[in-house]
Amino acid sequence: MRTGRRALGRRALGRRALGLRHRLVLAFGLVALLVAAVFATSTYLLAQGYLLAQRERIVQHQAFADAIFVQRRLESAGADVSAVLTAAGTPAGHTIILKWRGQWYASSLDQGRDVVPVAVRREIGAGQAAMQRVRTDDGPALVVGVPVQSVSADFYEIAPLTELDGNLRLLSGILIGGALGAAGAGALLGWWASRSVMTPLNRVAVTAVSIAGGELDSRLAATDDPELATIVGSFNSMVDTLQQRINRDARLAADVSHELRSPLTTLVGSVDLLNARRDELPERSQRALDLVTADLQRFRRLLDDLLELARSDAGLDPRPSTAVDLGGLVRQVLGEVGYDPSVLRASEEVFVAGDKSRLGRLFRNLFENADSHGGGLTNVEVSTSDDGVLVVVDDSGPGIRPEDRERAFERFATGATKRGSSSGTGLGLALVAETAAAHGGAVWCTSSSAGGARFVVRLPRAEAT
Amino acid sequence: MQVLVVEDDDRIRTVLRLALEDEGYHVTEAADTPSALEQTRAAMPDLMMVDLMLGEVDGYTCIREVRRISDIPIVIVSARSDTHDIVAGLEAGADDYVTKPFQVKEITARLRALRRRLRTSADAAEPDIVLDADPAHYLVLSTSRGAAVLDGNDVPLTVTEYRLLAELAQPAGRVLSRSALLESVWEHGYYGDERIVDVHIRRLRTKIERDPGKPRIVVTVRGMGYRLDPR
Repeated sequence: MRTGRRALGRRALGRRALGLRHRLVLAFGLVALLVAAVFATSTYLLAQGYLLAQRERIVQHQAFADAIFVQRRLESAGADVSAVLTAAGTPAGHTIILKWRGQWYASSLDQGRDVVPVAVRREIGAGQAAMQRVRTDDGPALVVGVPVQSVSADFYEIAPLTELDGNLRLLSGILIGGALGAAGAGALLGWWASRSVMTPLNRVAVTAVSIAGGELDSRLAATDDPELATIVGSFNSMVDTLQQRINRDARLAADVSHELRSPLTTLVGSVDLLNARRDELPERSQRALDLVTADLQRFRRLLDDLLELARSDAGLDPRPSTAVDLGGLVRQVLGEVGYDPSVLRASEEVFVAGDKSRLGRLFRNLFENADSHGGGLTNVEVSTSDDGVLVVVDDSGPGIRPEDRERAFERFATGATKRGSSSGTGLGLALVAETAAAHGGAVWCTSSSAGGARFVVRLPRAEAT
Repeated sequence: MQVLVVEDDDRIRTVLRLALEDEGYHVTEAADTPSALEQTRAAMPDLMMVDLMLGEVDGYTCIREVRRISDIPIVIVSARSDTHDIVAGLEAGADDYVTKPFQVKEITARLRALRRRLRTSADAAEPDIVLDADPAHYLVLSTSRGAAVLDGNDVPLTVTEYRLLAELAQPAGRVLSRSALLESVWEHGYYGDERIVDVHIRRLRTKIERDPGKPRIVVTVRGMGYRLDPR
């Protein structure tokens, strides 16, 4: 049950937010990406501006040179415009478009006057040279317009920018790749950083879990790291304090029970003496004596149970364990609580390793619980299974509701689980659970085939000696 | 039959006195170790009941001091049920123990068992049993005298140690389990504390074995109990 709750908690935590580790990785990655992106973008813009300006200058020079060539040819009479354009010897990919005497000529069949933007034509119409980037069917291009006034011609040269564009695209590819790489490296760095933070935290968590599991001697190992040393130191001193406190509490219970023993001894002895002279007492005094005797017995049992629990809480006094004949023990206890020992059904003789008197008290508590809360024992069975020896104890009561079964083993459990009797100490089943656990076993509650409560005690089988 | 009750709690002492007097014992009391030792030196009682927590000089000291001069049966009465306290008390020389809160019938049963040990050792009249025939370590159990004799001298055994030895020796060679010994020597019930047997066996060995660390007369049978091997 306890593990179930823990697992649930962890799941809820996971759903609520990203873990510290993921947040660190994400943050490092994002920062790296941002820095790399700014750097890459500015690099790209600078490179683009510079390359474009250079290219424009070259194209411009070429265009003016070509325009002068064309002008000279056209000035000589009877020139063939097409031949002139071909002879201009423009670099590969460049196209010359010429408007002369109301006619449009082009040095290439692929591109015509449509390519020339209206803005450039207007500039030239006003007698100004102009330049503009355009997008043609073949890709980006630069249009340079030069008015050739001496022959009243409009000269346009169209230079492709595809090569430059390709270069820029390659550059941007490299930069994007670099930025992503930097982001990845950042994330990796974040992962590494988080690991160095998380590893000590995980150690703390593991140690805390083992402490919660009862291993109060667990401590964090000392470390050289000055920052971690603070955490380790305060964690360990916290556990020290906790351990001292737990031990003190457990010892207090043990001491209190212990101190109560002296007055109880006098009481028990005196009542025994009175009982030895019971016949001399008047009838009413006898009844009073019976009450005192009964409650003193109960008080004694309570104190014994309390002391036993305190002892096991404090981890005091691990009793020597011997091989105990379980069938014999159960028969003995059955006899003590007033049952015919033949109630027990046992298939074979089994031995468990343990302390006879504590195991005896375990079964005594179980049987008395069946008596006082379960309407009496109906079946006691000893059997063996793969993981140990099982003792099944059935009673004829109304059973215990599933939701109350866990609580039945709590100390001073109240309410429906106790089924309204005053004869128990309220510690009986708690002690059963503690004793079974101390012997490396367990106890649980189900329902019997007849509907009553069924308690099952599992104990490890003793090694054959 | 005189019983000395050494107990610092007046009320418990009074209850013990009343209960024991009901059983026909003659009871004397001591509230601390010095006065108990004084009384034993003046007149040795037949039995002693000693509380382990006794103010300045504890019960262990009291038991050890009495053991120096006497082998009378001593029963520890202790509120301590912790292993090491009981064992330490038994090691000091006590024969048996009861824990508080005890019932009167528990105490009287223990004392009765102890008295039976005293009587048995005096009444038996059987031939001597040779436990070790080695002339250098000649050990005989003399049931007629209720004593073990080593090289002609009586071994100072307590009644319980003697009974334990006699139980193992009659007849020798049987393996006796701890619970069987507990039943026959101490007359404890089903839940008897088997450590009491181990402590007494240990003390017996220091008195009769040549090397108590490697016992050859009273041997341990692993997982079963003890056996006496006459040599």
